[in-house]
Amino acid sequence: MITVRLAKAAAAAVAVAAVVAAPYVLPSYVVSLLTLGFIAALLAGSVNLLAGQAGLVSLGHAGLAAAGAYGVAWATVQGLPLPATLGVAGALTLAVSVLYALTTMRTSGIVFLMITLALGITVFGLAVKLSSVTGGQNGLTGIRRPEPIGEWWQFYFFTAAVYGVCLLAMAAMARSPFGLTLRGVRESQSRMISLGYSVRAVKFTAMVVSGGFAGLAGVLLAWNSEFMSPSAVSFPRSALAVVMVIVGGTGTLLGPLVGAAIVVATEYWLSSYLERWPTVLGVALILVVLFAPRGIVGGLEGLAGTLAQRPRRKEKS
Amino acid sequence: MSLDEVALQALNGLSFGALLFLLASGFTLVFGLMQIVNLAHGAFYLAGGYVGVAAFGASGSFPVAVAAGAAAAAAIGLASERLLLRRVRGQELPEVLLTVGIALVLADACLALFGGNPRAIPIPDTLAGGVQLGAVTYPTYRLVVLSLAVGVGVLLYLVQHRTRLGALIRAGVDDREVAESLGIDVPRVFTAMFVFGSALAGLAGVVAAGLLTLRPGADTDILLFALVVVVVGGLGSLQGAAVGSALIGLVDAFAKVWVPELSTFAVFAPMAVVLMFRPSGLFGRSRP
Repeated sequence: MITVRLAKAAAAAVAVAAVVAAPYVLPSYVVSLLTLGFIAALLAGSVNLLAGQAGLVSLGHAGLAAAGAYGVAWATVQGLPLPATLGVAGALTLAVSVLYALTTMRTSGIVFLMITLALGITVFGLAVKLSSVTGGQNGLTGIRRPEPIGEWWQFYFFTAAVYGVCLLAMAAMARSPFGLTLRGVRESQSRMISLGYSVRAVKFTAMVVSGGFAGLAGVLLAWNSEFMSPSAVSFPRSALAVVMVIVGGTGTLLGPLVGAAIVVATEYWLSSYLERWPTVLGVALILVVLFAPRGIVGGLEGLAGTLAQRPRRKEKS
Repeated sequence: MSLDEVALQALNGLSFGALLFLLASGFTLVFGLMQIVNLAHGAFYLAGGYVGVAAFGASGSFPVAVAAGAAAAAAIGLASERLLLRRVRGQELPEVLLTVGIALVLADACLALFGGNPRAIPIPDTLAGGVQLGAVTYPTYRLVVLSLAVGVGVLLYLVQHRTRLGALIRAGVDDREVAESLGIDVPRVFTAMFVFGSALAGLAGVVAAGLLTLRPGADTDILLFALVVVVVGGLGSLQGAAVGSALIGLVDAFAKVWVPELSTFAVFAPMAVVLMFRPSGLFGRSRP
């Protein structure tokens, strides 16, 4: 056990060192892709929180990110100071999350998925049509990152740190009694009800918390591009977040990060060689669903588990 | 708004509702039988519509375009069901995720084959004019779409309740195991239903090519409407799809006139209300 912990600590230290060293050794374009990767991984992580723990797959999380992103974008364009800007983004994210939570807390499975999908497309529709606020298809320009994170490398460090903190928070939540309650809801709603839990309240809370992470990803997204248009929160964005989770491994801590890395690399790097990158992602999703339902990280964990168990057959994992 | 304008908008809403019904009926029937939420339904619609446009370009005949679009969507549906969906039969989430994968690939293929410019079919001469209804002159084509949807709806209802095929389908819905033990080849009924639902989506796509335009992204736009319709009407219910289509079509038409900036939101409002009071939809069976 001690060696496993040591190995994990060493791996974490190496990962942190690599993240810190990246802007000093890598070209700025690659670092900007890493920044995008962390933002995408945060959004995918918020999807994974619901999908992995509570078994609720949301196809509308881009709509929640849109709340944070448009909140920051609109408030910055209005010339509000930073605390007020974050306040607007936070309030908008909370409002949209509560709306999502209220409409989905009675549902599960595919009905949940369909309603989040409809909500996501509705938010996208608002972003397009409500042009007096959102700028419509032209989007909102003139967004500036706040002073201390204005440079690209500063923003990279900031994004990486935010992602790290959120990752720890999500891990803590998965281990907490609340995480256990969510898994209980996933496994058997009727048993949770008979144990005295309010399943609706649990789902409501989970959606609002997940919405908070998604909204934060949206804030980072708006700061990253310093421009906000509806295409950044369209349905394919929601679908890609789910693709990241499924390909990386549903319910695993690092799955969304791995999935985000693959998707961002395909979208931005492969796309310069291959025009048909959505096809690549669609095929990847189909293959993973058919042949590796636990995703890459889940599959590797399973493999590591089997290998570790082989010498001590009697011990229970 | 004068009474004539109200009548005009009501007809606009109902004819758009008719298009929605063509799309939503296939979607809801597939769900009713197989419990599959086919999120590629919008992509089937787009692909069918594009093939219809191409067939119209080649033949100049509208019926040929309709047949080609429906056949193309049916073929895509057949391949999807036989090659992919059948492998994860009965597992809710993998099935939905597969259809998302299919939708991504298909939408991208449409972009590759037909480009990013909007496409439409010029309405054939025989249907191009208008019909005088009281004080309102209304496009013939829209009225034809409306009657087509009513016809399809009546046909589906009769097949479901009056024929042997309908009995097989209802048996498959109610109790799959008993139906199989009675010698019904349920997987084949499933495949047939999925192909039929896909063909309806393709048909809707070609019809829409004369009503709206087809362009990248139209697949998810129309999918939202189909989803709202079936959530309002009740998943799996044909009557629900009919009532939901008419309702959402009307709400959309009037919202576009009265509150243009909020029109998408206005379509969503009836869904939220229905979900709060009847989570399984107006005509849906309550589900656990």
